Amino acid sequence: MLKTIVETGNHIAGLAALAARAQVVAAYPITPQTQIVEEIAELVDSGKMNAEYICVESEHSAMSACIGASTVGARTFTATSAHGLAYMHEMLHWASGARLPIVMAVVNRAMGPPWTIWADHGDSLPQRDTGWVQIYCASNQEIFDSIIQAYRVCEDQRVLMPAMICLEGFILSHTSTPIKIPDQKEIDDFLPPFKPGWILDVENPVSHGNIVSPEYYMELRYYMHEALEKAKQLIPKVAREYSEKFDLPNYGGLIEEYMCDDADVILISMGTIGSEAKLAVKKLRDEGYKVGSARIRVFRPFPREAVREMATRAKALAIIDRDISFGMEGILFTEVRSTLFDLPKKHLTKNFIAGLGGRDVTQSDIEDVAKKTFRILETGVGVEGIEWVNLRR
Amino acid sequence: MIDMKKCTKCLLCWVFCPEAVVERMEDDTPKIDYDFCKGCGICAKECKVKAILMIREE
Amino acid sequence: MVMLKELPKEELVLQGNASCAGCAASLALRLTLKVMGSKTIFVVPACCTSIIQGQFPSSSLNIPVLNIAFATTGATASGVVAGLRMRGIKDVTVIGWAGDGGTVDIGIQALSGAAERRTDFIYICYDNEAYGNTGMQRSGATPIGAWTTTTPTGKRENKKDMAFIMAAHRIPYIATAVPSYPADFIEKLEKAKKIKGTRYLHVLTPCPPGWRSDADLSIELGRLAVQTGMWVLFEMENGVFSISSPSRLALDKTKRKPVEEYLKLQGRFRHLTTEEVVQLQKAVDATLDYYTKLNGQRIFPQITD
Repeated sequence: MLKTIVETGNHIAGLAALAARAQVVAAYPITPQTQIVEEIAELVDSGKMNAEYICVESEHSAMSACIGASTVGARTFTATSAHGLAYMHEMLHWASGARLPIVMAVVNRAMGPPWTIWADHGDSLPQRDTGWVQIYCASNQEIFDSIIQAYRVCEDQRVLMPAMICLEGFILSHTSTPIKIPDQKEIDDFLPPFKPGWILDVENPVSHGNIVSPEYYMELRYYMHEALEKAKQLIPKVAREYSEKFDLPNYGGLIEEYMCDDADVILISMGTIGSEAKLAVKKLRDEGYKVGSARIRVFRPFPREAVREMATRAKALAIIDRDISFGMEGILFTEVRSTLFDLPKKHLTKNFIAGLGGRDVTQSDIEDVAKKTFRILETGVGVEGIEWVNLRR
Repeated sequence: MIDMKKCTKCLLCWVFCPEAVVERMEDDTPKIDYDFCKGCGICAKECKVKAILMIREE
Repeated sequence: MVMLKELPKEELVLQGNASCAGCAASLALRLTLKVMGSKTIFVVPACCTSIIQGQFPSSSLNIPVLNIAFATTGATASGVVAGLRMRGIKDVTVIGWAGDGGTVDIGIQALSGAAERRTDFIYICYDNEAYGNTGMQRSGATPIGAWTTTTPTGKRENKKDMAFIMAAHRIPYIATAVPSYPADFIEKLEKAKKIKGTRYLHVLTPCPPGWRSDADLSIELGRLAVQTGMWVLFEMENGVFSISSPSRLALDKTKRKPVEEYLKLQGRFRHLTTEEVVQLQKAVDATLDYYTKLNGQRIFPQITD
């Protein structure tokens, strides 16, 4: 039985934490995440949510408290954005290194200075090496579904790694849309109680996290890497199970492909640019362009095989980054290119930087990106260099 | 080394040993585990009747 | 009255740990665990203790320990307390055990937050008055005049008064201690164990390599610290300040030992001029005068809940 509600992305993230039966939430407010913590505070205070809610005094402490709770067997949840995420960076490493399946909503917001509260991926993408699963949502429904599924994947004994579910600030977080929520009982069926991979227990005392010589450290990192590779296999399976059980969208598992099968040019992006891209593709197809869109949902573990598979038949890839790695290029661009490097066929790849600091990326902008890529493909001119979309000069 | 003739079994050596190297026997006699003693000398210093001697291992 | 002989025989700090010879922190830990027992979970940031525990695959502490990042003790412990509560586990004591660095400097925010939230745990700061784990650089708890590797000509600033900072949080129990007065220390640990809410203990732990003192003097130094008034033993129980009995003698100016007796045994004070020692004595005298007036007074209003 599905119930339809109309809510903003933030409130939906909070409701997902409730549905997932998170037991300890430790969080610190930051625009544009605040409604998540407020929703949870209300749910806990009213008794609707059976959880301990710790109003910590900083994001670094938020992740620390989540770690503490998780080590004694509690299912934990938190949320943050931008500078809050940056502030907890040290502890992101700790959570993954400690193999704790903490789930966190990241409401994507650009980094300052200058201060900005609007969306881009410059907060979460630089965290890509911390060992966290990263999933980028393009709709409020996907936020809810991804949070529930993340617990299933992360708590699997073969994974035991934390996950961040990313949603763009204001675009999703503050936009109300209808979504469908399954029955709590059915969710409980899908997501059983947390069984930790290890636990602090007075009956079986161990020290956890202490110093390890060069003789042992590498193996632990190898296991973490392996765990994310396992997650890569598990995520689409769990997504399929969820989608079939609840009759809800699948989003394609690791990548949401739209009209890619016979496309000459594929637009690759993440988040809501990916859903806007579908509209652009539809219009361009009507105009005769053989174009498709591939929205990468799961950025970590990076879906190498799926990207190669998706790109096989295409000639050119336009990769739209809502981020920039200064002194290099867009992060998604680097990762896609690296993934394609060993293929016998050399794709034309063009990097477009768009939407930084929340600058709007419209359907028409994406159509322009596609058309530009077609032109480059035809003429061979303009392959080099990064294109900054709508940059004022 | 504990001179048991002087020892009053006050057990201050047992309380003050940072290393838990002074074992407290059934009859409250202190017994030093020389395998783990670090030779800090606190027990000798604190013993009120000077019953403990620090002897260098040769 | 605490009878030392009544302490349990069981050692939860196992032999062969990695502490330096004469480490008072190791002793403080040993005595703490004798009081707290095995139904204890320790949260330990980067500090000397995390080294004392030893390297994987061994640990010298026979209780569950969550080693965690430097700044986070108060926050991580808050999470552990919440997690245990959600799992219905009621009989386990959560103890944050941190050095002075992880308490008064980098860890102060997390501790302050935990105290403000009235987190039900015991926080014990063992204080060797510098960043011991990394080689004795100065901390906010380093006393004025002390040599450290980052204050080679002596620290210019006063020791941060952590006990009174905690008092401002209006928590139910605060105490200072030193292992040199074990009965007093143990009594305070036992009291802390029985109280609910945030409990804070600050334990002076002399450090032979850091203080440049002989290994066998760690107990004597702690004793002299109290007898000279350089370290005062007190409690604040529900806001009422009371000097503990080992410190009462030092309140009496005629019975107070001169600070030189304490300073001369430590190489870290060797460079102090006569004038500086005079200043130090004046400062100690002033503090003890102040504490004498404060004795028995309320530091903050009665906690009502």
